Amino acid sequence: MYDNEFFVVDMASCSSTGEIINSLSLALETLNHSGKKIVLKLNDSYFNQSQMLSIQSLITSYGCILDTVETTNEDTIKVVENMNIPVQKPIEKRVDNSYSNINSTNSFEPFSMSSQNNIEQKEENLHFEADLDAFKKQNEVDIPSFNNVQDGKDEDFTIMQNHFTAHHDDIIEPETVISDEFQDADDLHTAALYAQNLNTINKEQESKEEKTEEFENTEKKSIGVYKKAYDENAIDQDEWEEVDFYETPSNDPVVSDSKHTTYINQTLRSGQVIESDGNVVIIGDCHPGSEIRAIGDITVWGILSGIAHAGYKGNNSAKVRALKMNAVQLRIGDCYSRRPDGTNIPYIIKSSIFTPEEARVVDGEIMLFKINQKN
Amino acid sequence: MTGSVIVITSGKGGVGKTTTSANIGTALARLGNKVVLIDTDIGLRNLDLLLGLENRIVYTIVDVVEERCKLKQALVKDKKNPNLCLLAAAQTRDKSAVDAQQLKDICDQLKEEFDYVLVDCPAGIEQGFQNAVAGANEAIVVTTPEMSAIRDADRIIGLLESKEGVEKYRLLVNRVRPKLIKNNDMMGVDDVVDILSCDLIGVIPEDTNIITSTNKGEPVVNDEKSLAGQAYMNVARRITGEEVPLLDIDEPDTIIDKIKKFFSKKAQG
Repeated sequence: MYDNEFFVVDMASCSSTGEIINSLSLALETLNHSGKKIVLKLNDSYFNQSQMLSIQSLITSYGCILDTVETTNEDTIKVVENMNIPVQKPIEKRVDNSYSNINSTNSFEPFSMSSQNNIEQKEENLHFEADLDAFKKQNEVDIPSFNNVQDGKDEDFTIMQNHFTAHHDDIIEPETVISDEFQDADDLHTAALYAQNLNTINKEQESKEEKTEEFENTEKKSIGVYKKAYDENAIDQDEWEEVDFYETPSNDPVVSDSKHTTYINQTLRSGQVIESDGNVVIIGDCHPGSEIRAIGDITVWGILSGIAHAGYKGNNSAKVRALKMNAVQLRIGDCYSRRPDGTNIPYIIKSSIFTPEEARVVDGEIMLFKINQKN
Repeated sequence: MTGSVIVITSGKGGVGKTTTSANIGTALARLGNKVVLIDTDIGLRNLDLLLGLENRIVYTIVDVVEERCKLKQALVKDKKNPNLCLLAAAQTRDKSAVDAQQLKDICDQLKEEFDYVLVDCPAGIEQGFQNAVAGANEAIVVTTPEMSAIRDADRIIGLLESKEGVEKYRLLVNRVRPKLIKNNDMMGVDDVVDILSCDLIGVIPEDTNIITSTNKGEPVVNDEKSLAGQAYMNVARRITGEEVPLLDIDEPDTIIDKIKKFFSKKAQG
């Protein structure tokens, strides 16, 4: 499908950076991630330097190199030349066989059916693969990454295996047999990613705690109450609580819109955990005791009553949206907040009144905004 | 300073272990003791809900055991009473996430700092029970005046006797309904004590306030008027070594009862 060294990505159908990053990440997931040179074909729309830089960093994050950019826009050419990347003007009819062409948006569609068959055919005993399948099946955006040739797909799996087994050994006891596949997925994800999660918790508002005889000194961070930005009567009297957090070096922030989206079409019940290294969309309710962790954004098409942690690698620009926001705790990046005590009704009455709300970080505090409100 | 570790157990589910833990813990804290409550019901945690601390939990006992945080960081302070702390159970794991030795270590560390360490035990006699009992030197066996609960309590007492660490165990009879006992429809407290031949630490009457307090997330001992709250307070006093007589849990006669009595007397006379 593609040459050994070069990989042409046709982005002529995309005009915004968001679209490009989305389709590019899809296309790059099908590659063997070893030093491929990318030839990026753009249309005549203008991209500034920061946009080009983010595209370039996405490509390097997949282990590839942005080799050449093809564009017709004069301004974009200048930007690209400033970045010391060679520019090509598009040739009307390409007869050159050294490059092979993939149109990232169209070429995936015919494969989406067969990829599901592929998944079903390949039954592996290792349970993290099973849980991967469960996730991929529900994940419309991700499915194309399986349309790759068999080798490519295997590679995809082995990467995940390494990722999980590294943490798997020390956290989950080997004799633990969990019959439920979903529960299985939870624990693995928890095990693998919770450790990273904790790295990012404490950054700001550090204050020294008094020494006690038995316990060592720890850093403190406040856990505040989340408030409605538009509600004048928002609960203000509630005192801020000091909660001890473990201080560990944080990872670099991750840009959320470069991430894929996982769709989950079910109700999350108590004890179930969804982990994702992209965005998460849940079509259903999230009951108290459930937990969602995502590097990107979290969207709940229903009532969110569990714990939601968006941008858990320290991305404070991540957002949490829900048709009805009743989350026990909201965590965005390294900010924490909890539900006001007055609303401590475990299962909120399922009334028909829904106020879609979005949680964002404003000045280090998590605030709720009405979804159509402009801010 | 070494505090005592008290496990609250029953064998049977639904007799009120968690309610008892929350209330005795709050009562002991109100009496001025430093108290920590440990929820060992991993995967089915409820104690945080009864105390209204659900939204404050960041780290759980599993995080402590797996060394993701220090023990002190996982303790959640109560809203009202600074003497009371909760070490919550994890909801996303199961009982096998913790073993008996680890829980014993946690109890040993905590009893250096606190006067009372109350361990809320899960139902059953499997690993969850073994974990909870591991660090305890005292036990409160909760039962209701029903044959099934009494039988399970008997089994639990047998298991506790075979444990080395547990020095004494006492019985708490929960959900007693004086009226039913009067009409001989329910076993009396004396009968229960006779069957189990065990010291009694308290009798808690059935009280509808318990249900509302659970939903509100506030233990019933904070309600001075509630009969069950008073009974739990007395239990806490007895734990601290005070001599308190058993509470008179007889419900006052309603008007209808009085009228019935009046007519039945007339009929006899």
